Amino acid sequence: MTTIDSTQRIPVTVLTGFLGAGKTTLLNRILTENHGRRIAVIENEFGEIGIDQGLVIQADEEIFEMNNGCICCTVRGDLIRILGNLAKRRDKFDRVIVETTGMADPGPVAQTFFVDEEISAQFVLDGIVTLVDAKHVSAHIDESDECKEQIAFGDVILLNKTDLVSESDLERVEKRIQGMNAMAEIHRTVTASVPLATVLDLGGFDLDRALEKKPTFLDPEYPFEASSIYKLPAGKSELLLADGPDATMDVALLAIAGDDSDDRKNAVETALRIFSTDPKRVRTQESLVPEATLYRIDLTKPGTKTFVLDIPLAGHYALVTQHLPTEFALSLWHDGKLVSPTAQDTFAAAHSHDDTVTSVGIHTDEPIDRAKLETWMSQLLREKGTDIFRMKGIINIAEEDERFVMQGVHMLLDTQADRPWAEQKRASDLVFIGRNLNRAELTEGFLQCRS
Amino acid sequence: MPLLSSVTSPAKHEMRQLWSGEVDDWATCLAWSNDALTCAVGAASGIVKLFDGRTGTALKTLDAHPGGVLDIAFSPSKRVLATAGQDGVAKLWNGETGALLATLPGKSGWVEHLAWSPDGKTIATAAGKTVRLWTLRGDPVVETEEHESTVMGVAFSRKGAELATACYGGIRVFKLGTGKSKHFPWKGSLVSLAWSPDSRVIACGAQDCSIHFWRLPSGKDSFMQGYRNKPKALAWSMDSTLLATSGESIVTVWDFKGNGPEGSEPIMLSAHVDMITHLSFRSSGTLLASGSKDSGVIVWDPRKSKEPLAYAFLREEISSVAFRPNHDEIVAIDAAGSVACWALTKS
Repeated sequence: MTTIDSTQRIPVTVLTGFLGAGKTTLLNRILTENHGRRIAVIENEFGEIGIDQGLVIQADEEIFEMNNGCICCTVRGDLIRILGNLAKRRDKFDRVIVETTGMADPGPVAQTFFVDEEISAQFVLDGIVTLVDAKHVSAHIDESDECKEQIAFGDVILLNKTDLVSESDLERVEKRIQGMNAMAEIHRTVTASVPLATVLDLGGFDLDRALEKKPTFLDPEYPFEASSIYKLPAGKSELLLADGPDATMDVALLAIAGDDSDDRKNAVETALRIFSTDPKRVRTQESLVPEATLYRIDLTKPGTKTFVLDIPLAGHYALVTQHLPTEFALSLWHDGKLVSPTAQDTFAAAHSHDDTVTSVGIHTDEPIDRAKLETWMSQLLREKGTDIFRMKGIINIAEEDERFVMQGVHMLLDTQADRPWAEQKRASDLVFIGRNLNRAELTEGFLQCRS
Repeated sequence: MPLLSSVTSPAKHEMRQLWSGEVDDWATCLAWSNDALTCAVGAASGIVKLFDGRTGTALKTLDAHPGGVLDIAFSPSKRVLATAGQDGVAKLWNGETGALLATLPGKSGWVEHLAWSPDGKTIATAAGKTVRLWTLRGDPVVETEEHESTVMGVAFSRKGAELATACYGGIRVFKLGTGKSKHFPWKGSLVSLAWSPDSRVIACGAQDCSIHFWRLPSGKDSFMQGYRNKPKALAWSMDSTLLATSGESIVTVWDFKGNGPEGSEPIMLSAHVDMITHLSFRSSGTLLASGSKDSGVIVWDPRKSKEPLAYAFLREEISSVAFRPNHDEIVAIDAAGSVACWALTKS
């Protein structure tokens, strides 16, 4: 008897994005640069330009809605048909790439790999790669539900054609995308040029990696956008800012132990407390000291503005700023020499856009009761499944040795025991991406599942 | 080896293998010639292999459809073999010599389904959203308008005057030669179609784990729910009283005798340990064969017993089973390319 375990399933990568975003360019790049991988491509009939090589099957996107009207059961009939037949010639390829049309809703594509048993037994959704055109994506987000959904569903988002926009526009659009989908890895590209490892073999989802790279995504609503770590000598350093979009900016200066991730997390915690205090106004040429003070630096004067950082002891300092340093061409000088940050964390701005599609991340170190979690989750997905596009989580279940991983698309939930916690610190991280999510309600609901 | 749940049952026996053969890739489809002399097997490699139905001797290997063979059917009257595949064409072959008679292009995409008219004079080929009709010589006759989506099944009525198709959104019945057709809409996607031999009922498996069927000519429809997966495997008994269905490890048989099957309990046949991939009734009586992912083939008589009558195994997932016409024999093919013929009777 043949048994199929997940390791034998054929990985499928979905390429999505608006017409002109660069899907076909990326596809051709994958096919050209790919060494040793045998790839089958399922391409929509309105492909932008021809595909150079490989096994290419043209498909007309056929959306199969169910009689019961449940959008979560909607699947792509053409994929079921084609993948079912492709599986039979498995020795001739070991990966599938599905390119969607520009206006495609990725939901039915993703759901196909959950809902249809014939497909889920043989194929596994490796990842959804969303390409967006840096110049036009903002308008597309505003105008199109499909664009919002494509961003919300992306495991990896390629912010493409970055050569056509300014750095500050890029920052803005990247932050906006991150605010919508905090789980995605965002890469800036010019001609969709990324290492293949960035878009292939994502392994379904890797929350560990997302967590490691983006501690911010657990709470995107920080009152500051950047924390820059500097190694400063004792004495006076100069903080220079050019003209920028705002007349003032709130800043905190903190002494920290070093620039590793724990130190930086601690700095963020401390900064959060400082940013909740009343700001002290400082004018150009005035001093900032590394104390628990929130400074509101005055930037009304045109031209370069200089502030003094009064550093009592040499060491690492975090300069936490309300806006991104690049927006004001912020620089730090000591003795006439430029001091560059040794590390920098940026944070998605709070309510920078009134996007209805957002991410909600929830974290707790306390163990979770499995029965409570299942009850809450099933009720939540039943009631809110339409608005929850994707859900991912690694859960610390009380008295279980293994990590419990969850992945959902709308109302469909896939849960399984993962590897043992072993040396890893036990903690639960859960992320929702969706429309009109109620952060407080979701957080409270999850925290009530603590054992 | 898979274990059947009750191998010790005295009624059940392992079938005696008469012959075996193989193809070079996943065996995808299977057909017997009406005279029971030739068994044709299509493979994912694109070849079609003809076996001597009596001995299993490989007679011919046809390079039929690069990319894979998707359907295969012998004409009922003469021994013309029709094949369809991922190269976007159907082909007609001399079933004895293997000579290519005609190539029938589809309108777009793969040619996925074939159906011969009962008189063997017309063949229907379904590719993408269009069904085309051809003469036995391969001359084009007519094509349908585009359907709403890819055609998932095609069948002729008993007398050959009508053609039925299934796709997303319902079924269509075309009255051939009149230019007329009737749409029986249903908001859902149909994945398979089987027309009862008496032409009174069209049954379809649906993506949402149900069976939908329409009684003709009224078009009165019903559906049966409760399946765990989409019931893709369908088969009618030759007397049109039994409809066997499955998309899971259990065969669900609906009895159309009397007022049924609406409101009745189906006959549930349980012995396979994995999803059933194909069902086929014998052309006389009510013997039913099931093939499963568990690599087993089981023969049942659902009118008499819920217990298996006989069983056999191949190496991997069974892709198709077919009784040898007018013989107490059965052939099955599997994902490893195995082909085997067994005797139904003991000794």
